[in-house]
Amino acid sequence: MIEEAELAEPRAEAGIVVEDVTRSFGEVWAVRGMSLVVPYGRVTALVGPNGAGKTTLMLMLATLLAPTAGRIRIAGVDPAADPVAVRRVTGWMPDTLGMYDQLKVHEYLAFFADAHRLSKAERAQAVPALLATVRLDEFALAPVHVLSRGQKQRLALARALIHKPRVLLLDEPASGLDPRSRIELRDLLRRLAADGVAILVSSHILSELAEMADRAVFVSAGQVVASREMSDLAAIGSDQRVPWRIRARDPEALEAVLTGRGLAGTASPAGFELPPMTEDQASDLLAEAVGAGVRILAFGPTGTPLESAYLALTEEGRR
Amino acid sequence: MSTSVHAVRLVAAHEFRMRLRTGRWKWLLGGFTAVMLAFTWFLATSLNASRDSYYNGETMVHDTTSIGPQMFGILMLFVLGLMLIISPTLTSQSINGDRERGTLATLQVTLLSPTDIAIGKLLAGWSVGLVALALSVPFVLFSVAQGGVGFLSAVATLTVVALLIGVICAVAQALSALMSRSISSGLLSYLATAALTIGTLITYFLALSATSEQKPILIGSDYMTQGVVRHPEEVWWLLSPNPFVILADAAPALPPLRADNGDVVQRSDDPLGSIRRSVRDATLPDSSLPCGGTVYSSSDQPIGDRLTPTIPQCPAHPADPSPVWPWGLGFDLLLGAFAVTVTIRRLRTPATRLGRGVRVA
Repeated sequence: MIEEAELAEPRAEAGIVVEDVTRSFGEVWAVRGMSLVVPYGRVTALVGPNGAGKTTLMLMLATLLAPTAGRIRIAGVDPAADPVAVRRVTGWMPDTLGMYDQLKVHEYLAFFADAHRLSKAERAQAVPALLATVRLDEFALAPVHVLSRGQKQRLALARALIHKPRVLLLDEPASGLDPRSRIELRDLLRRLAADGVAILVSSHILSELAEMADRAVFVSAGQVVASREMSDLAAIGSDQRVPWRIRARDPEALEAVLTGRGLAGTASPAGFELPPMTEDQASDLLAEAVGAGVRILAFGPTGTPLESAYLALTEEGRR
Repeated sequence: MSTSVHAVRLVAAHEFRMRLRTGRWKWLLGGFTAVMLAFTWFLATSLNASRDSYYNGETMVHDTTSIGPQMFGILMLFVLGLMLIISPTLTSQSINGDRERGTLATLQVTLLSPTDIAIGKLLAGWSVGLVALALSVPFVLFSVAQGGVGFLSAVATLTVVALLIGVICAVAQALSALMSRSISSGLLSYLATAALTIGTLITYFLALSATSEQKPILIGSDYMTQGVVRHPEEVWWLLSPNPFVILADAAPALPPLRADNGDVVQRSDDPLGSIRRSVRDATLPDSSLPCGGTVYSSSDQPIGDRLTPTIPQCPAHPADPSPVWPWGLGFDLLLGAFAVTVTIRRLRTPATRLGRGVRVA
């Protein structure tokens, strides 16, 4: 489904427009009538569990798979009709890294620069600049096989950016990244979006997406369940049951309150992990604990607003 | 999507560089050279031991051309055999292996066309085969240096082997594009090579049996017997795609030997020539039937209680029957071209249908 707000968007200016796209593999329907719009200058998160159809959609957008039905436009071009035109403007980073381990890091990028028909001058400028951007410049002469998974992930991102794409497709880009790299990835994507690149990021790790996306498209069982601005997400989960964590200066007193309410909290160094409850139930618990004289240090949902919203929306979708 | 020489060269150079850096090629080429060295040494030693004159059944023949032709022929058949063992491994994983490693899709989303990728990868695999072939050149030149074989003959024969390596590489690559698992394509590539070598031979003899017929033959004036009439001229083409047949038939003929009395005698020291004669003779009607004998066929008309005998004419066999290799090499090259087409089609994206078990990325 396409949200009404999206329908109002000027699609001609959108980096990606997907309309009622379906893809089957024999009897299995991986994508069933998905519709979404990814505008230029925004980071759009594609959120969903394993098997939701995210990677299949990415493969169709990357010109590798043809849809069984429906229409796709990348920068205004149909990938099925003119895949070359789409490849000129699209960068794709798959979830499998697909590295040539025998090459040196700079050779790897130079090869893809040539494969995208960059001139020698463009290549000479782009390769070191991108290696610096993804903090691999000191490994330029090292063979790819010595890189860690996170470094390979960054090299794959550099490969996707080598021809300065206007549309960027990232499938699980932050898996394997250390915290610093994750922050740098977020900052890089924000910079690219600010430069007008349309970015679609797929992941089932919601905390990653919450850090980098402007907007989220929720998918489940091959369908778009909802599409929301990140700023609107906090409200969606307010009546949903999500896990909470509570920490007190006097844990024994807190445990007595929890036991009294029938809540079997799991003790951890960070506090008690509580079973899913709504915001109303959580505020009642807090009031009771404070009323009982428990000195609370921290209390909040363990997930991000995106996680809460995802649980809420996919639950709605199931109903 | 246009194909350019630059793009094909880019893929070929990239693949070749990757192969060079894996380190396995050193073992492959080192082993190949060691085997060639050992074989050539044993061959030269054994041929030298049986040198000098030999009796051809009627008269003493003095071999004035030394061991060169025999050594060259055996060596070339051996080189071809080795190359047929090596070649399938060079490309039988080039497409599905890249798919399994996740590197194929990253190539397919660049501006490289399926043709660039298919031909570039094929050239890289073929080049490794040609490097191995190049390593056999010193040994071949050694046999040429023994005398009796022209330098151009050696070049022509090596060229045929080089083309056959390309064909096998193309077929193996197509199988790697068709099969999802590299182990399956590796196995099928060897089966395809076996079909071309052993399979054509078996099929030829089966077809020869199937087309032969029993006929009553009158020997002399009153002795009748049943004879088997074979028709190799109907089934010879089954042998033509065989790489060994192509090699032997395409190799330039050696100069004739002369006996003491000056007569030209059949060479028994030329393995390629022996195969060539057998194959070319197969294009002609069976010459084992006794000429002048009387054959009754079903179309013979009875006169009284006897059939009218048909006196078969002795076939007028040409002195030098037509060569078989242009047909065989032509067929094999077409097979290679078809295989490249299959590979290109399988690399086309966006893919509407995927083979069973094939993952895009």
